[in-house]
Amino acid sequence: MKKVMYLEFERCIGCRSCQAACRECGGHDAKERNYVEYIDFFESRQTYPMMCMQCKDPACAKVCPANAIQITEEGVVLSAMEEKCIGCRNCTFGCPFGIPKFDFEENKMYKCDMCYDRTKYDISPMCASVCPSDAIRFIDHDEMMELRRRRTQMNLIEGKKPSQNDKWQYVPEFFGVYSD
Amino acid sequence: MKGLERSFYSKASMYSFIVLMVLFFLLWMSTGQFTKVKWASSGYMIASIIFFIGMTIRLTAWGLRPATQQMIKRSFQNMKTKKRQKRNTKAIVTTLVDNIILQKYIFKRGIYRGVQHWLIAWGCIGSLAITFALTFNWMSFKMVDPSTFAVVVFGFETLKMHPESIFAEMSYNALNITSSMLLVGLVMAITRRLKNNDLKVTERAEFDLLPLYLMLAMTVSGLVLTVSYKFLSGWMHPQMALIHQITVVVFLLYFPFGKLFHLPIRPLATAVPMNYQEEVGVDTKNCIGCDELYSNDDQITDVQAILGQQNFDFEMQDGHKLSDYCPACRRKIRVMNHLNMPSPFGKTMEEPVQTNNGIHIPGFGRERNETFYEDVKGEK
Ligand code: SF4
Ligand code: SF4
Repeated sequence: MKKVMYLEFERCIGCRSCQAACRECGGHDAKERNYVEYIDFFESRQTYPMMCMQCKDPACAKVCPANAIQITEEGVVLSAMEEKCIGCRNCTFGCPFGIPKFDFEENKMYKCDMCYDRTKYDISPMCASVCPSDAIRFIDHDEMMELRRRRTQMNLIEGKKPSQNDKWQYVPEFFGVYSD
Repeated sequence: MKGLERSFYSKASMYSFIVLMVLFFLLWMSTGQFTKVKWASSGYMIASIIFFIGMTIRLTAWGLRPATQQMIKRSFQNMKTKKRQKRNTKAIVTTLVDNIILQKYIFKRGIYRGVQHWLIAWGCIGSLAITFALTFNWMSFKMVDPSTFAVVVFGFETLKMHPESIFAEMSYNALNITSSMLLVGLVMAITRRLKNNDLKVTERAEFDLLPLYLMLAMTVSGLVLTVSYKFLSGWMHPQMALIHQITVVVFLLYFPFGKLFHLPIRPLATAVPMNYQEEVGVDTKNCIGCDELYSNDDQITDVQAILGQQNFDFEMQDGHKLSDYCPACRRKIRVMNHLNMPSPFGKTMEEPVQTNNGIHIPGFGRERNETFYEDVKGEK
């Protein structure tokens, strides 16, 4: 997998196309696995999209007592294996970003798998392919670097100068699986 | 236990040794000091012994994972607590009946899947039980006199009945019944695997398909054996018996290491109602951010312990852990951090959460000298 997911939260217009697209993805069983939420409903109508970070060292998998969360060779953290998941929700509480969802009826966890059937072949995941405002993008590593650099410059122009320890606050979210 | 463990190479070898000793003793008892060992089925016997050792090793390895250990530890603690006995019994009984015997949650995933899985599961467990009982001679049948038929367990005659009663018929045909269940379930499962494209997303041939075809080979060869001696007066019987034995041996050797290993994991599901959620879907712990109910104290304690053991540091400036917030608040915290805005909870994290996602950006990690920033500003 050569590409990375790139999120710019403030670009989100709250259309929820990504959620509709997620429901259509193979194996998602018509349930969306991503989130579109209000930052603060009483302040503004600003929304943000949220999906799994595909952590390299995933907390969700490490807290799973059944060892049900598998990581593919590309590094995608898959949804729980249905035959193993005992439905304890440890993953939901362990994940630092509140990503795994839980189905009480079917007694299993399900989470963003970055549309593994697509991204495996470097095809953009469902959410990124429909986002009209480019809040979610699936792009080359170089392009991501370029965007980040420009963002940093913009921040500097606006007078937000990073100090040694908070440079990370000045660049937008990027994540995904990148293997050279 | 600790002292005993030190005399062995590892936990797994200790448990394997104990299991071997128990098997040896049971065999000794049931075969009349090894005088009645059935050598024709020695293949089954050796494979079964390896099956038990494989199972022991895999279960030990699984139990050593911090997450599993924590959950098992709390289960044992709760089982010992007098006050919780009612809740424990209820948890064990409901899990046994709903999840294991009836497998209700799979029926909720679809009737077809439910039927298919139930048939395979019980066909498989039944066949395994009968195979072990017969190969180790734990159970056998005996004609005491022409009108009495007895079930012999460990060399003792127990149940006695008329050879033409329904129960007797059922015991002659027990393996045929379980293998017919397996056959129907397997055909359903294989059809589903062939037809449903959604399944192909994460399907792996050696993991998802191999066990199905292996069980199919085993079931079909076993049923052919029955057909052969019942209707074809033993045509090709020795050859088929050998083929059947080979398939069963391969299956037994494969069982502890592949997809089928989920079977011994399932009973851990009792821990959920017993330790964490007494009623399905009813939470008792409030989120410290939004005050909504999202979990329960014991589970959050356990999750934090497991994370701590594995060096995950999800502590925030105010001393709370991320898991003290509900998932929705955690998502918000992440976004606020990245938008460089104060989070609705007033506290932000000092640093980004370390998820080590493997992308390193040259340039961002190094300190630049002050003039670099002046230059960038100056351009505008
Ligand atoms: S669910 Fe959470 S912990 Fe697991 S990979 Fe995704 S972001 Fe990381
Ligand atoms: S809910 Fe399932 S996937 Fe999540 S930690 Fe529990 S067993 Fe693992």
